[in-house]
Amino acid sequence: MPVFAVVSMLVFLALRVLPVDPAQMSLPPSATIEQVEAKRIEMGLTKPVWEQYAVWLGSAVRGDFGESAQYRMPTSTLVLQRLPATIELATCALAFAIVFGVAMGLLIFAARGTVLASAGMVVTSVIMALPDFLLALLFILLLGVLMPLFPVNGRLAPGLSVPDLTGFLLVDTLAAGEPRLFLNALSHMALPVLALGLAFSPAIIRVLHSSLVATYQQSYIRQARLRGLSDRSILFGQALKNAILPVVVLVGTQFGGLFGGTLLVELIFSYPGLGNLMLRAMQTVDLNVIMAVALIYCATTLIFNSLADAGVYLLNPRLRS
Amino acid sequence: MKQQNVLEISGLDVSLPTGDRILSGVDLAIGGGRILGVIGESGAGKSMIGACIADTLPDALAVSAGSIEFDGLPLGSMTRATRRDLLGRDIGFIPQEPMTALNPALTIGQQFGSHLARIGFRWPKERKERTIQLLEDVHLPRSRELLSHYPHQLSGGMLQRVLIAMAFASNPKLVVADEPTTALDVTIQARVAELIARMVETHGASVLFITHDLCLAADLCDEVAVLYAGRIVESGAAETIIGSPAHPYSRCLSLATPTLSGPPRPLLTLPGTMPSALERSVMAGCELAPRCPVAEMRCHTDKPLLASTTTGHRSACHFPERVSAIQAPAEEPQAAAREPGPDVVLRAEGLAKTYIARDWIGRMRRVEALRGLDFEVREGEFVGVVGESGSGKSTLTKLILGLEDVTTGRLDAAGFAGSDRSAATLRALRAQVQLVFQDPQSALNPRRSIGSLVTQSLEVRAERPSRAARSAIARDLLAKVLLPPDVIDRFPDQLSGGQKQRVNIARALCSNPRLLVADEIVSGLDVSVQAQILELLKALREEAAISLLLISHDLAVVRHICDRTVVMFRGEIVEQGPVEEVFGNPRHDYTRALVAAAQGGTSLRKTMSQSQ
Repeated sequence: MPVFAVVSMLVFLALRVLPVDPAQMSLPPSATIEQVEAKRIEMGLTKPVWEQYAVWLGSAVRGDFGESAQYRMPTSTLVLQRLPATIELATCALAFAIVFGVAMGLLIFAARGTVLASAGMVVTSVIMALPDFLLALLFILLLGVLMPLFPVNGRLAPGLSVPDLTGFLLVDTLAAGEPRLFLNALSHMALPVLALGLAFSPAIIRVLHSSLVATYQQSYIRQARLRGLSDRSILFGQALKNAILPVVVLVGTQFGGLFGGTLLVELIFSYPGLGNLMLRAMQTVDLNVIMAVALIYCATTLIFNSLADAGVYLLNPRLRS
Repeated sequence: MKQQNVLEISGLDVSLPTGDRILSGVDLAIGGGRILGVIGESGAGKSMIGACIADTLPDALAVSAGSIEFDGLPLGSMTRATRRDLLGRDIGFIPQEPMTALNPALTIGQQFGSHLARIGFRWPKERKERTIQLLEDVHLPRSRELLSHYPHQLSGGMLQRVLIAMAFASNPKLVVADEPTTALDVTIQARVAELIARMVETHGASVLFITHDLCLAADLCDEVAVLYAGRIVESGAAETIIGSPAHPYSRCLSLATPTLSGPPRPLLTLPGTMPSALERSVMAGCELAPRCPVAEMRCHTDKPLLASTTTGHRSACHFPERVSAIQAPAEEPQAAAREPGPDVVLRAEGLAKTYIARDWIGRMRRVEALRGLDFEVREGEFVGVVGESGSGKSTLTKLILGLEDVTTGRLDAAGFAGSDRSAATLRALRAQVQLVFQDPQSALNPRRSIGSLVTQSLEVRAERPSRAARSAIARDLLAKVLLPPDVIDRFPDQLSGGQKQRVNIARALCSNPRLLVADEIVSGLDVSVQAQILELLKALREEAAISLLLISHDLAVVRHICDRTVVMFRGEIVEQGPVEEVFGNPRHDYTRALVAAAQGGTSLRKTMSQSQ
């Protein structure tokens, strides 16, 4: 909570020092100076900054983030419309990153000492060197243009629509009993999810691998081998539960990066989520929207940090007693 | 008909890729239901024998000659999978460090269950019942509750019982126990050794018992093999190996071991160190020859082979008849008559320390680490503090060094009150009171030369001596701890464990302290190295009029170099007085238990002290 207060204050101050006048922005260009002055007073912009912040905070905690200057509608409505798309994208990307990263980490470790493992490590390093937006462009080129397997634009094919229940397309299409639409939504998500997830996975592979190496030097692994347990049951039954802890911490602390990555990836795929909203808001200096979205990014990071702490706590019995 | 041996190792060589041998020509045989002890100091290669049996040699090492037959079948001709299948089923292992040998993320029940599943218990219910029964067999109380406990919730002794139960769960033919009691408290050690002996009886298994502890081996084993520098130098019946050893090394080891009974005597110190695998490769004669008190020319040129002796042993020595002539050095007369000086260097009156612990939801709990301690250390006096883990020994050390504040009572160390913890007082205190740590390795910064480590404390002084002056001081200090002058430019990694501990002592002596606090300083060291350090401390007392507070779990060590002892139990002093009085005629139940545990409760230790 205190973190949240500090972040909101910082964002608020940063936006207030910008040389733009919210009052002027919210009026048509033809407005007279008197009209702008009146608007300034109406918007409370003549009061001291800390008082403005208090007013903003007061309404923010009630869910009122003011009106979007560009869209002429409440910011909260706007954000809530876009939020599910981004959550869906980020969740799928994270799931892909975890499944792919853990599987690859285990594979490379199980093949340790062979050419396969070194090759896996090289591939991992290559992916690590490519940022998510570059991967997105590469996938568009490879799987969208050269070999057009997946659509590269939006969340659904033009002309299709789904009754809006939750905003999560994968959920809504299934709820509407439309498997065809579900697959269409899924294929639209494929490339952005691949780009975001793949960019995040090398860290998981690396951390899991080195954590497994360290775990295998522990004497309980040696003792398990002396009890005659098979390699497979040593890896899955003994080592993994200990070796996964750093991965949980990594996912929790680095999820913010993946979530932030949606900004550019959404732009590249014209994906109607928070990222695109944020970019538009920045271009048009839509201050209320920028504030609200920034706070969502911040909240997501904090929530995942706490989730990781809880996960480690659950997985590590030594912390529990 | 001669019964077949369960394990028969013949002519076993384990080599580095360079051809240097870690083990050479090892012959061992264990009959059904027998316990064979393999005794050796670190670096002798004793753990390699277990690794050969388990097929878990480190990557760089390989069996280069010889064979291991298990139950009549040569292990060398089996596939890796077959050999692995034997483990946990026909061959059980008891590890050295029970605290790290169980998976911290899994409960006792889960780990035991997965082992039982492997050895053929198919149903979870059946596994659970069997686990409970096996845990009861090793005298673990409330075994049903233990199933849902994690390893960190159990003590070392309890964990070792769990591991012993696991090792015997499949009724194996052979159990390899690698130093199974070394990491445990004294009173637990004896009980765990007893438990192993009893399990052998009920399960009819044979045991390969690897240890550095002569007395323990003598107590527990039927036969014993002494390993030195990768070679078996003596083997035979356990009862006689200490009473009438037929190899100089065995004799020297037992003369280097402090005892709890018999007249006090100085320890025999073997000069030098055990040769490494590389050094052995260029030795033409006996590996012990450079250190052996009875060696002559022939020993340096001609390798002795294991041969039967008159005492019924097999000994690899050209002159087994000379062994009994090896004697510990005579006590210097003035040493015995030494009296402590009149000054009191350390005095505690009603000393107590209470910690406030908080659990995860912030509830406070008071932990009384020390309660009402009264004792003193006079000038030039050596006092031994004995007690097991949790008795408050470490807390006492922290208070003496001013690392933590005293809760109630008085503590005077070298004239400074423990309640005054101002920076200036603490600095002055630490010139007078110095600490030597248990682990010689981690106490030394690996990036500093020995010379600069020894005089490091001078660098922070206001009147800091010049570099040349410091190196002169370092040379003096190194000479005091009997290290050769050329170590001054070397780094900690280039020294052996014993040498490092000497460096630590030299370092503590740098500020000419009045009191040295030594926390288990010899417990990680081999017997022969321990003897060197103990004799060194004795010599320092003659020379420097220093007082010593030796914290140790080993009563024999305390008896050997201390004048008085303080016995601690759960944060209190239960008994104190002159060592001979306290250990010879213990009054408190706990002291009695400690003494009994240290004596192992058998006649063998008496044989040992009589023969000397």
